[in-house]
Amino acid sequence: MATALTSNWLHVDIGEETPLLLSTLSSCMTLSDVQCDGYMRLLAADISLEEDDEPSAKLKVFRGLKLKQEQSLPGIPTAIESLYIDETEPKTPVIAVAIAESVLFYRHMKPYFKYTVPALDAEELELEVWRKLPVMKAETHDELLQLLKDVDHAKLSRKTQRLLQLSGEERESFIETHKDSPVGRVGNIVAMCCLKRVSSSPNPPSHLVLATDTGRVFVLEPQGFNLVYQARTCSYETAVPSLISVHGTYETDFCIVVGTRNGGVYLLRKANNEGQEILKMSTALTGLLLLPVDQTIVVTTMEQRYLCYSKRGKLLYQVQLEAQPVCILPLMLAHLGLTLVAVALQGGVVKFFLQRYLVDEFVLPETVAAMLYGRMGMEDHVLTLTTQSGEMFIKILRRVTRFETDVVAAAAAANKSATKSQRIADVSILDKPKKSSIFVEQAAREKLKAKASYGSFQVELWRLRHTAARATIDAINSSESTISGDLTHAPVKLSAEVCGSGPAFRLYLTVQNLSTFKMASNLVVLLHADRRHYTMSQSMARLPSVLPGIPLRVDFEVMAVLDPLDKLPPGSLTPDNSQIRVMLLKTGQSKPLIAAAVAMPQSEAAF
Amino acid sequence: MGMLNNLADLIKVKKDKMTILVLGLNNSGKSTIVNHFKKSNEQSAIMVPTVGFLVEQFYTMGVSIKAMDMSGATRYRNLWEHQFKNCQGIIYVIDSSDRMRFVVVKDELDIVLQHPDLCNRTVPILFYGNKSDLEDSLSNVKIAAALGLDNIKDKPWHICSSNAISGEGLDEGVQWLVQQIRFAVLSHRKGSKSKNNAKSNK
Repeated sequence: MATALTSNWLHVDIGEETPLLLSTLSSCMTLSDVQCDGYMRLLAADISLEEDDEPSAKLKVFRGLKLKQEQSLPGIPTAIESLYIDETEPKTPVIAVAIAESVLFYRHMKPYFKYTVPALDAEELELEVWRKLPVMKAETHDELLQLLKDVDHAKLSRKTQRLLQLSGEERESFIETHKDSPVGRVGNIVAMCCLKRVSSSPNPPSHLVLATDTGRVFVLEPQGFNLVYQARTCSYETAVPSLISVHGTYETDFCIVVGTRNGGVYLLRKANNEGQEILKMSTALTGLLLLPVDQTIVVTTMEQRYLCYSKRGKLLYQVQLEAQPVCILPLMLAHLGLTLVAVALQGGVVKFFLQRYLVDEFVLPETVAAMLYGRMGMEDHVLTLTTQSGEMFIKILRRVTRFETDVVAAAAAANKSATKSQRIADVSILDKPKKSSIFVEQAAREKLKAKASYGSFQVELWRLRHTAARATIDAINSSESTISGDLTHAPVKLSAEVCGSGPAFRLYLTVQNLSTFKMASNLVVLLHADRRHYTMSQSMARLPSVLPGIPLRVDFEVMAVLDPLDKLPPGSLTPDNSQIRVMLLKTGQSKPLIAAAVAMPQSEAAF
Repeated sequence: MGMLNNLADLIKVKKDKMTILVLGLNNSGKSTIVNHFKKSNEQSAIMVPTVGFLVEQFYTMGVSIKAMDMSGATRYRNLWEHQFKNCQGIIYVIDSSDRMRFVVVKDELDIVLQHPDLCNRTVPILFYGNKSDLEDSLSNVKIAAALGLDNIKDKPWHICSSNAISGEGLDEGVQWLVQQIRFAVLSHRKGSKSKNNAKSNK
């Protein structure tokens, strides 16, 4: 837990003269050694969404705290990544900027390549219509377009969508200009991240993972610009990816976790090219991470919760947050061997979780919109945060920081939020009604044949009891001797004598340790007799440690049960069963060391 | 013997030996500064990041100085404290153009000053505001204000801007440091001597 006195984060004083303003997203920020001088610079797309002008974006390069370079981008980017494409020295990073359906590559901050994702094949009907449109008379166009209106709007190409919106007069010229352009759907890139090719070198060449709003996921090899892996998020069309997280290396194995706009999370592996649904949220996701350490998936949702799932979709833990999570960021602290997850909440709080435990937090004056962590300049552990109004904060992790989970504090917090967690539990029960088809069938069958199923249950129950009883008898009989046979403990000898003529008897037990050096400790004596024949005021005794050579004597009072009328022992008592079982047990062991039966003499009648 | 020592102090014929610790963040120019003081035939042309630490011996201002050139990389900064016990002076090198890392410089300086091996000794500290030739470098006054050097009351300190590549400002700083160490040694010796005298009087 962070101490209140000193924060784990050093706040960089930016200086009053030039407030750094940057309105951006976490995905549109990256750190790169663009000048190849070993100084990591911050690259960010500054997106201006002023009401009076067209939305525009600029790619800004900061050296330390100073804005060094800026360059207009031809559209609003969805993601920026810095990657190395080959092994040649000196290693030059390439900046990839995803805008609409293409990725722009910059080298030394100069445009270098533009890659556009392949179009999907158009519907047969749509192709047919476009073939007919230019050659047929204008009067028949309405009919043709009516055909297209029946098709799902999302499945039409962009030019058809536009055509359907146009009025009758504009249509002619539109058809004229666009009749020869290809008919096909192109998906916009909604998310992009890097996938290392191999893991050996510190700056290995990477591939790019692109997710489009048509539900396709591509891996682009940026040397020859080929797609080396293509997959679909899931079998149906409506799953539109919004968040992706990648782990692994391309050459060996990798998996891609895709979060969709409607709260589904899908897992794609190298081996198959269709995603497998691992979970489905009822609310939208605000953040998704595949943590490299324990291969768990961390999500934050609009329900103010921070959840962790296994790759199979099992909920491992969840934390209730006090405000809406805005963005989420993994912090790999290799020098500490930890991976923290930073969660920025509405209101300006930034929390750091180590698994389910809160290890640190700080508050900024405003809600954080984007976060970035990594080597910046000459410093390894720099956290850059930009708020919703565009103010930039830079925090540096102190060298002497240790993040430790304070279990006591965590427990206290858990107690405090017991009611809250109760709510969480209830909600999770409601979330997932686990009624499999087998369960439903079984319930129906039980209703139909109530008698039979009750009977079979009872039979099984008695069988279980029978098995248990038999096992007990076996255990007792196997150690039926007066000297314990267990070699791991000190050998113990038990002898008994019965004094008295009845109905009150006294049973003397002598326990002797036969070993020469080992102590026999933690022993318990247990007496067992038929309740109809004998009563004992005390049937169990814990023994003190028995030293070698010194016998220990314990005694028990045993009363023979007599019939109150004729003062005679009950008829069921025969010489065969007038016994008291003596068991010598060792605590923590289920099998007795010694089990012996003491034959009781016939009781005198009491007068 | 005491008289001889006094005489040696006065005419400075006795070669003083001093151990100086060179601290500072990575890429601030520590090795370049130490390199500048070495003899011209021993100087190296290319500087590479120091691993662990290096011990360099050089002769300047009539004293032989053993400089412990510590690595400033994050993972080696925990080695600094092992040298605190047997150092007589500290050179703390600051990259005056790296505004972003001033907080780190200050944090590391505070850790150094609060270390039990140093906090009760009057070890002189020399600050070099290095890389003064760069365009966004800050002045001495601004660095001193940013690091809160005014709060150091129990140790003599001095800040001077330097350019380790051309050697500008380096000699001035070392001159001050050597003087301070000499002064500290003298006053220490006097102190112990008066103690000895008192003992013999008894």
